[in-house]
Amino acid sequence: MTGALFAQCLVLGILLGGLYALLAAGLTLYFGVMRVVMIAHSAFLILAAYLAWYFHERTGIDPLLSLVVTVPLFFVVGYGMQRFLVSRLRPISLTTMSVLLTFAVALTIEGLLGFVWTGTQRRVQLGYSGMSIEVAGVSIAVVKLIAFGLAAVSLGALYLILRRTSFGRALRATTQHPEAARLVGIDTDRVAGLGFGLGLATAAVGGTALALDYTIYPSLHWHWIGPLMAIIVVGGLGSIPGAAIAALLLGVAASLLQVPLGTTWAQTVFYLALFVTLMIRPQGFFGGRLAQRF
Amino acid sequence: MPNASSATRPSGPTPARVLRIGGLLALAAVVLLFPSLAPDPFILSVGVVILSYAVLATSWNLVGGFTGYISLGHAAYSGLGGYATALLILRSGLNPWLALLVGALIVALIAIPVGIASLRVRGASFVIVSIALVLILQLTFQSWHTFTGGSGGLRVPRPFGPDVLRPEQHERFFYLHAVLLALALLTWWLIERSRLGAGLKAIREDEDKAQALGVPTFAYKLIALVTSAFFTALGGGLYALWFGYLDPIFQFSILVGTYMVLMSLLGGVRSLFGPLLGAVVVGYAVEVFKSQYGDTQFHLVATGILLGLVVLFMPDGVIPAITSFLNRRRRAASIREVTAEELARQREEAAR
Repeated sequence: MTGALFAQCLVLGILLGGLYALLAAGLTLYFGVMRVVMIAHSAFLILAAYLAWYFHERTGIDPLLSLVVTVPLFFVVGYGMQRFLVSRLRPISLTTMSVLLTFAVALTIEGLLGFVWTGTQRRVQLGYSGMSIEVAGVSIAVVKLIAFGLAAVSLGALYLILRRTSFGRALRATTQHPEAARLVGIDTDRVAGLGFGLGLATAAVGGTALALDYTIYPSLHWHWIGPLMAIIVVGGLGSIPGAAIAALLLGVAASLLQVPLGTTWAQTVFYLALFVTLMIRPQGFFGGRLAQRF
Repeated sequence: MPNASSATRPSGPTPARVLRIGGLLALAAVVLLFPSLAPDPFILSVGVVILSYAVLATSWNLVGGFTGYISLGHAAYSGLGGYATALLILRSGLNPWLALLVGALIVALIAIPVGIASLRVRGASFVIVSIALVLILQLTFQSWHTFTGGSGGLRVPRPFGPDVLRPEQHERFFYLHAVLLALALLTWWLIERSRLGAGLKAIREDEDKAQALGVPTFAYKLIALVTSAFFTALGGGLYALWFGYLDPIFQFSILVGTYMVLMSLLGGVRSLFGPLLGAVVVGYAVEVFKSQYGDTQFHLVATGILLGLVVLFMPDGVIPAITSFLNRRRRAASIREVTAEELARQREEAAR
């Protein structure tokens, strides 16, 4: 591999890793507040991408503007999903049953997408779709840069919310010890609902970023949920920084392996990492106490 | 079925026992007579498909029902079973039936490291690994053209000569599937009344307490998974021999794994015949759906909504839901097998 090619792959990997990091942060939020593995996360991601595409198709306005609608919408849907669906499950079998429930939601969304917009592959065509900028011999597509920028800004915002606001503190308390959080007067049910909303909002942002750069089709979400689940396990279930680090590392690894192995085989690096992590360190590499039991 | 009569076990023929044996005989009679009653080969082939689903769901229940660990990726084992059988016949010229058995043994071996990786920790990792396994296998079998035939698929040679016509093929495979189903049910029944079964059910109700009582939880879970993978692979292999063609998209389909879960949950994971009942209902619905509306996206929506409803409203299945409804009507039996959470709820209500 030549130096220029290496640099190119490295940059692409980091850009992709940023998007993975944002989406994995969403998955981590659900797991943190409710111990729920949200399989439908990537289905909502594709749904947001479809909404962005449809918005652009009908109005001709830049799909980025669909964020104004999809982010609040997804926040509300996420809140509702926690309050009206997930919280109905029995606490004792919550983790496994929530997987089934969110899996059912994912299937329904995939089916509805195919029903409404058919299985045809869709792609947003924009004035700047083909453009790229060149920095030190590495050419970067503008759309990838925008996607990464969106992901970075949202991750930053998420960080600020979690660290600097009282809601963030309540959410972290709920994640760490729900009973203790209730004892100090935190309404953990409400916080869990809002945490779900935040998580689903990351899917809205991610989906819009995805629509800029990818060809989308209803069953695409399976290609995302596998790597994302691998990332949160490698990073340690429940740890947002862990998820972000794992996302970047694995994104770069997959991108670098694409050159010698091809796209399909490079994808297997995620599953390999998942398997190796569970074999040698089941609690993940960056996770704390929380991950131990899962 | 867990109820008072099975706990006390009277020696004479009680009505419940007569009913149960009668039901079993009736079931066997229906299965045996179905091929001669089926009006045309198409109906017979639907029968084979439903029996195949029943085999898969019952095999799934060996791990899902006993331990409560839900695997969404059991299609990995059925798909591998199909491919192992086909590849053993094609590449090493093995006798088809021997290939079926050897293939299933290989799949059981593959299940060991998978189990070691996913069963050391609780629920979440197990489900994640099970889904990841299907996704990775679909990816590999689609791209590995030289070995698996890639996305073009793989033709499986027929085990019976060309003189055996199609309707007769269906009939023979119907009986073969019935035998396999009987074996899987027998295994479930044997495990249920063994020490292993008691340990597994203890894990399902409360893994911490089971461990504290000295149940070797990890080993037991692994045994359950490997047994389940073995039977699932046999089911997948037998189906491959009947169908004669393997396509990685359908072999390693998330949807097939979902059907197994849905069938078992719907019928009831705690009962011997639950998955069979679920397979008849869901399998029949799937086949009717396909023949009526074709392969539209709508079956995804229907499957999704049905699964969601079952998970939300009757996570223990239809049979337990009906039994508990009936039990509420007549006086409840004195000794019953209750889950830890039911017990907790009862105590809570009693304390109130």
